[in-house]
Amino acid sequence: MNYFQLFGLEAEFTLDLAELSATYQALQKTVHPDRFAHSSAQQQLLAVQKSAEINDAFQTLKQPISRGEYLLKLRNTDLPAEQETLGDVGFLMEQMELREMLADIEHASDVDAALFAAQETIDVQSQHLWQQLQEKLLVDDQAHNLSAGELLRKLKFYLKLQVELDRIEDSLFD
Amino acid sequence: MAYSEKVIDHYENPRNVGSFDKNDPSVATGMVGAPACGDVMKLQLKIDDQGIIEDAKFKTYGCGSAIASSSLVTEWVKGKSIDEASEIKNTAIAEELALPPVKIHCSILAEDAIKAAIEDYKAKN
Repeated sequence: MNYFQLFGLEAEFTLDLAELSATYQALQKTVHPDRFAHSSAQQQLLAVQKSAEINDAFQTLKQPISRGEYLLKLRNTDLPAEQETLGDVGFLMEQMELREMLADIEHASDVDAALFAAQETIDVQSQHLWQQLQEKLLVDDQAHNLSAGELLRKLKFYLKLQVELDRIEDSLFD
Repeated sequence: MAYSEKVIDHYENPRNVGSFDKNDPSVATGMVGAPACGDVMKLQLKIDDQGIIEDAKFKTYGCGSAIASSSLVTEWVKGKSIDEASEIKNTAIAEELALPPVKIHCSILAEDAIKAAIEDYKAKN
């Protein structure tokens, strides 16, 4: 049984997070140790294992990047190893500029405005990639799956930008 | 996790930080990124007409190990021919900086940056 099936879902990228969360709570209740207090050691062990599996499934499906990667794995798409370098020069140039923009925030005359503008830029650009990802994942063929994999790799750079921006914001207001 | 002394030295006193004009025909630019950590690295080589690397500069947004790896590479490539430079392996970088296994990808990034720069040079010339 794959993670989507475990949660009674179709293997699709778009899902309702509130519903996912509610199903998670309901599933965990069915394997709660209290229910197995009088069961055999074997049954108790199975319940613990099931609980761990439900937890892994929830963690994977909750985050859109891991959900996308998991979906591509189910579709038998060979994705580049995590350590494999990304070489899209145009994209990397943009990333360099975005990093420079973040580094300049603390020197801005209006720090609040600079933070706001940086957040907006990151949001708009990453939203654009999420949109493309959603569209690619609607079609299950090799070309679409490979492009989806590439988009997921790019989106990880935006996650990093967000972490950096949050760090800068914290350091400025400490 | 503790950084090695060499990583700290390169991190605190990075060698050859900066940029050359990327439109200069003798300048090769290598851009690479690591999705695992979101690091971005730009390595530029100034190459004379004999194919010898005269100078190198880098700009890296990433962790201490990524900065140290690119800083070290700019020192290593200077004076080398492009063929010699293309033989620099990430294992040598990782060993010199005593990188722990979780930071090996930083050295891979630096090796790939050299390769990307040399490809750019070959495409230009």
